[in-house]
Amino acid sequence: MSERKLIDARGAFCPGPLMELIANLKLIRIGDEIEVLSTDKGSAHDIPAWVAKVKHEMVGIEEQEDAWHIVVRKSK
Amino acid sequence: MDAPPLFIMLCSGDHEKIQMAAMSASVAAVSERPVEVFVSMNAMNVFKKDVSDVRYHGGDYSHIMKERGAPDAIELLQQGKMLGDMKIYACSMSLDVAQIGLDALVEEIFDDIGGLTTFLSDAEKGQLVVF
Repeated sequence: MSERKLIDARGAFCPGPLMELIANLKLIRIGDEIEVLSTDKGSAHDIPAWVAKVKHEMVGIEEQEDAWHIVVRKSK
Repeated sequence: MDAPPLFIMLCSGDHEKIQMAAMSASVAAVSERPVEVFVSMNAMNVFKKDVSDVRYHGGDYSHIMKERGAPDAIELLQQGKMLGDMKIYACSMSLDVAQIGLDALVEEIFDDIGGLTTFLSDAEKGQLVVF
């Protein structure tokens, strides 16, 4: 059963949310997920691009009222 | 294909340029691209342990970044080193003329003192960006 960790990076500017995601990916197991909350629009574009480049997996991305919710699965 | 290494020559003491250099270096490093940074000239002042009051000086965007709480450039470099493949060298000539050593600079940033000749020679393997 995979686990999902929540990172609240609301209010942080680029590349803050990405760096927080990467630091936390180091700490979780392969198959587990991280949900990043970000109010930085650039990160909503950059995080999926980074995930594709380094070959993790995008689970979903959604703009909600409070923030972007970006879910990434660690795949290596 | 592996991305070619990124070589960043950081000479300006302007906050905006230091911020862009730190962002570029750290994002490249965490994107599985090896990075080498060569710090020289006025940029060296920003990395001194002993800064009188304000570490970063610049123009309009410097003020905006401080007001809004943009990530700290030195912390970005430290994160990039921790999470990726990044080496940072302090220009030996800049240290010599200022009569200071690595011990005068912020800790957990610099890997070593480096010379321009070696850096330029290494940079032939990748792309060089100057700030």
